[in-house]
Amino acid sequence: MSEAMINVKDLHKSFGENHILRGITEKIHKGEVVAIIGPSGSGKSTFLRCLNLLETPDSGEIYVDGELINDKKADVNKIRQKMGMVFQHFNLFPHLTVLNNITLAPVKLKLMTKEEAEKKAMELLNMVGLAGKASSYPVQLSGGQKQRIAIARSLAMNPEIMLFDEPTSALDPEMVGEVLGVMKTLAQSGMTMVIVTHEMGFAREVASRVLFVDQGIILEQGKPAELFDNPKNERTQQFLSKVL
Amino acid sequence: MDWFNEWWSEVVRLFNKCFIEEDRYMLFVDGLGVTIKVSLLAVFIGVAIGFLIAICNLSSKRPLRLIGKVYTDVIRGTPSVTQLMIIYFVIFAAINWDKWIICAIAFGINSGAYVSEVIRAGIMSIDKGQTEAGRSLGLNRTQTMIYIVIPQAIKNILPAFCNEFITLIKETAIVGYVGLIDIQKAGDLIKTNTYEPFMPLIATAIIYFVIIKALTIIFGMFEKRLRKSDIK
Repeated sequence: MSEAMINVKDLHKSFGENHILRGITEKIHKGEVVAIIGPSGSGKSTFLRCLNLLETPDSGEIYVDGELINDKKADVNKIRQKMGMVFQHFNLFPHLTVLNNITLAPVKLKLMTKEEAEKKAMELLNMVGLAGKASSYPVQLSGGQKQRIAIARSLAMNPEIMLFDEPTSALDPEMVGEVLGVMKTLAQSGMTMVIVTHEMGFAREVASRVLFVDQGIILEQGKPAELFDNPKNERTQQFLSKVL
Repeated sequence: MDWFNEWWSEVVRLFNKCFIEEDRYMLFVDGLGVTIKVSLLAVFIGVAIGFLIAICNLSSKRPLRLIGKVYTDVIRGTPSVTQLMIIYFVIFAAINWDKWIICAIAFGINSGAYVSEVIRAGIMSIDKGQTEAGRSLGLNRTQTMIYIVIPQAIKNILPAFCNEFITLIKETAIVGYVGLIDIQKAGDLIKTNTYEPFMPLIATAIIYFVIIKALTIIFGMFEKRLRKSDIK
């Protein structure tokens, strides 16, 4: 296989006394859709947030496209432009319209003119099925709509990688499907995706690989079918028996 | 009705003596101008300083945080009269600027400390997720502040800021200490010249009250309009 898009070596992170990540080593290749599952507090979100440096690792190395990103000399802002992030609580900008939420970053970072950004935004809104909401404000949208806009906002930066931090956990059950639908389309388009999720059905159907994280390490991983149907580790078995 | 006529003519006599004779009302007119000039300039200086100090206080750099903390501590820990007199008689002793400008600078420096706390609280009231969303899109810290955090913080800052402005106007009533004649000093002068305390002091109170009530109403309308954009 070609060089890994994300290459993580022996990643450690503590919050005070709490040793959250205890040495994660993993490679993620272009076009992979990696689902990260595991119990609450296992460190899966922290791991994801380390990948775009929303959390600063205590030790270890993270390479993106071969570049060491947790280096003092690394241009964090440039690196983040390559990685879209979708949050559990959407984090749309409430003072801006949907359209301006999407165009803000590309325009302010001078990657596109206002016209180009708006054209791109409308394409993305079409893709997520919300073209009619361009001039709405976030308060006027449902949770599922907000999350689809958040995905569009990240995609407007033309990222190479998309990170999802429990994107459906804050949604009403009937809205989960519309968000997963958009993510599925994205996965089929060849986007490299890393998804922290509790949606086991989605992980099984869409992911190309599943990582089971517990107590700060990757305990087991494999193709969805292997991991879900034939978990080898005892803790993986226990966890899956509770959630499936 | 004799008592009423007697009382009324006494009121008229006092009114004439305090405000009409020797055009004493002009003291209030000029004093009002001074109070307004000093307050307006001071509020601009206060906002500028307050913003800088708030940035210092929220900075990740230790020396800057220290500057912010010392500034706020010193200003909050000393009476504004003392600050005014130090600035007027010590710091600006050798500088020949208009009195009212020096006073405005003194009040601006004072107000800056309080405004900085208001701004800091407003910025901190914005959810951390907003900053994270901005940063994750590749915006740097300053861009995230300017385009995402501050526009949202302003709504939360405004009420407390209006409060600070009103406090500032009332605080300027001490400029008489350095010989500037504002509304308060005007009332005081009339009192000393006429030996009549009632009329000039009540008039002073009424003038301040009217200014501040008017401001409160204006700010209230402004705030309402801002809140409207929340509901949509």
